[in-house]
Amino acid sequence: MRTELGQGRSRRGSLKWALILLALTSALIAAVEIAVFADGDAFGPVWVNVLYAGAGLTYVTAGLVGWWRRPSNGLGVIMVFGGVSWLIVSLSSFEIPALAALAVVLATLPLAVVVHLVMAFPSGRLRSRARRWTVAFGYFVCLVLEIPLYVFAPAASSNGILAAGDHPHLATVGGWIQRGAGASCVVVAVALLGAQLRRATSAQRRVLGPLYFYGLGAVLFVPVAPDVIQPLTGLSNNAIGALQVAVLIGVPLAFVAGMLLGGFARAGEIQELGAWLGANASARPSLQRALANALGDDSVRLAYWVAKRGVYIDGRGRQIELPGPGSGRAHVTIELERRCIGAIVYDAVLIADSELVAAAGRVVAIALDRERLTADLLASREALRRSRDRVLRAGDRERRRIARNLHDGLQVKLVLLALESQRLAGQAGATPAIAEAAVALRAHIDLAAAELRELVHDVMPAPLIERGLGAATRDLVDRMPVPTRLDLGVNGMLPEPVSTAAYFVVAEALTNAVKHAQASSLSVRLTHHEGALTIEVSDDGIGGVAAGDGLGLRSLADRIDVLGGRLRIDSPDGQGTQIVAELPCES
Amino acid sequence: MRVVIGEDEALLREGLTLVLKQGGFEVVAAAGDADQLVRDAQRLQPELVVTDIRMPPGYTDEGLQAAVEIRRTMPQIAIVALSQHLQHQYASELLADQAAGVGYLLKQRIADIPTFCADLKRVCDGGTVLDPEVVALMVTRARNEQDGLQRLTGRQLDVLALMAEGRSNASIASTLSISAKAVVWHVSHIYDELGLPASNDDNRRVLAVIRYLDR
Repeated sequence: MRTELGQGRSRRGSLKWALILLALTSALIAAVEIAVFADGDAFGPVWVNVLYAGAGLTYVTAGLVGWWRRPSNGLGVIMVFGGVSWLIVSLSSFEIPALAALAVVLATLPLAVVVHLVMAFPSGRLRSRARRWTVAFGYFVCLVLEIPLYVFAPAASSNGILAAGDHPHLATVGGWIQRGAGASCVVVAVALLGAQLRRATSAQRRVLGPLYFYGLGAVLFVPVAPDVIQPLTGLSNNAIGALQVAVLIGVPLAFVAGMLLGGFARAGEIQELGAWLGANASARPSLQRALANALGDDSVRLAYWVAKRGVYIDGRGRQIELPGPGSGRAHVTIELERRCIGAIVYDAVLIADSELVAAAGRVVAIALDRERLTADLLASREALRRSRDRVLRAGDRERRRIARNLHDGLQVKLVLLALESQRLAGQAGATPAIAEAAVALRAHIDLAAAELRELVHDVMPAPLIERGLGAATRDLVDRMPVPTRLDLGVNGMLPEPVSTAAYFVVAEALTNAVKHAQASSLSVRLTHHEGALTIEVSDDGIGGVAAGDGLGLRSLADRIDVLGGRLRIDSPDGQGTQIVAELPCES
Repeated sequence: MRVVIGEDEALLREGLTLVLKQGGFEVVAAAGDADQLVRDAQRLQPELVVTDIRMPPGYTDEGLQAAVEIRRTMPQIAIVALSQHLQHQYASELLADQAAGVGYLLKQRIADIPTFCADLKRVCDGGTVLDPEVVALMVTRARNEQDGLQRLTGRQLDVLALMAEGRSNASIASTLSISAKAVVWHVSHIYDELGLPASNDDNRRVLAVIRYLDR
């Protein structure tokens, strides 16, 4: 099955490498940052700075896991983006002015990313205009409304390189505006998510509710912590900062867990399968592969139900049994319009929740039904081929039986009859007239015997039974009335159906050449090479033979088809005829 | 003359025995399978073995194999093989080592009792008898493959075929209704075309012709 994956698999392969490189790059940046902090080459205590870099790494890692497990879900990308923003914000402690300035400009970006994450959960897409505006507004608050805070306050950036002047009042006002806007952004988000929660099932609500609450709560907590928590608890600035970071670190962990596990796993898988269904049929991997990817179980197998035979078959039409209890594998049946169409067989140890598999099955039921029809078609084609094969073999068996019966019965009787009439002629007391009539009778019986010999030979030639294809072909060629060249590349006995088919190909081709082609010379070539027997018969006659001509050629084509061989007739007008048959034949 | 018969079909075995007795042969044994035939020939050392080619246990060419075996181990015993159908290849195998004292005939020829008995006697005398059908096969084959025969006239081919059957000049002359002198003329012409050494001895010239046809 692996070869069928094609493009889908290679695309996943390149994604893997992209994600690995992304992970390595992020880890390197974080490592450099931590090394610089540890060197004491930064502002503030080392542990706070390390905590920032750690937050970046946490976001990146959670994002990469989600991205890899659900390639078509955008949440992973959003989390990685959040991680990168954290790594940039960490640069604020650097002594390099440009990097530190960049960190100041993007200082609140991680908060906007959290809003984005919450609004996009669980599908990874912003599915309404209101949501898109809300998220855009969040980025506006964090990137644009942040500007007065460093432009009017030289203390915000090192050496005040971002400041246009010292206007503490303007900076304060700007700060209030930003917080107000940020709060209103959160209020809008709460309204939108609340509406979604009302529509959700109770099971979804149980998981969505806490996640939404936590995400938006974190966004609200961070700006108000210095103003509300600090006066209440009297914690140091660094402790408050650490608390803010800790609350935000929890966000990607909670969301990636929600995305991959429990009820959201189902949402994610169904999303994946939906993406598969929407993909171009020629570009997508097999349904079985898509299910395996979505369910995270490479051993997933599809079984298609054939109602009229009451059996399950695989994708190639072969009958299969569903796993029994205790085999470590389990199955769920899939129904479409209340009739069974198949089953998904999976690893019961890897996937404990059969409802998960059933849900995936419901999504792909129509696609599975289509594949079932294909498999069913393959199965009936195989059954048809087998039945034709049986008919052919039965026919040959019957030919042999008839030939044997004629040989043992009628031919022997004709010899005895002829013997009897000859003895009648020689009997004492027979008149010359009677003797003459008896001899004539014997001669007629001999003629009848000669006709019978030809008949037996046509039904099933003795040389084929007694000596095999090589001898029988030589015998045919010996009897040709025009010069016939024989190139015999077979030795030993071949399987009976193959040698019989090959013999009749040669016999029919030679008969046609002599009867219709006005050929003056013929050539027969048999070669047995690499599991195939090739029969070539060519003549120098008038050509113009077509594959459908005559019962003989048609029945030959049938014979060859049943054996899985090919027949080619090359017969341009006036340029002779070449008939080439190829039969699969393991030696 | 003592004969051992190899024939698995009981009615035919009886018929053959009767014909041979009528023709003045003494049938000392009649075997029903190939192994028995070889054993009988070894034990009884007859002058002639007449056997069917298709015999038990395999019902393919066991009789022929037995004949070849008898020929190899007891070359003094003349052999006539009978068959329902004729194959050039079987003739070649029978004639392989030496063609003297060998016959290969269609089973149907038994019925023509006088001719059949005469053929058997010729084989016993070291002659070669081939069924006209086999000869025809050999001539067709030789004509398709070899240049020499292309230059022979139709009448000469007729003479050649009768020669291969083991007929004498006189017999050929009466069969074709031509004079004995004409036969001699045809024969010498055939020898010239085929590059065979001329010979007056019936048997030797049959061998020469067969060797030519079978090569």
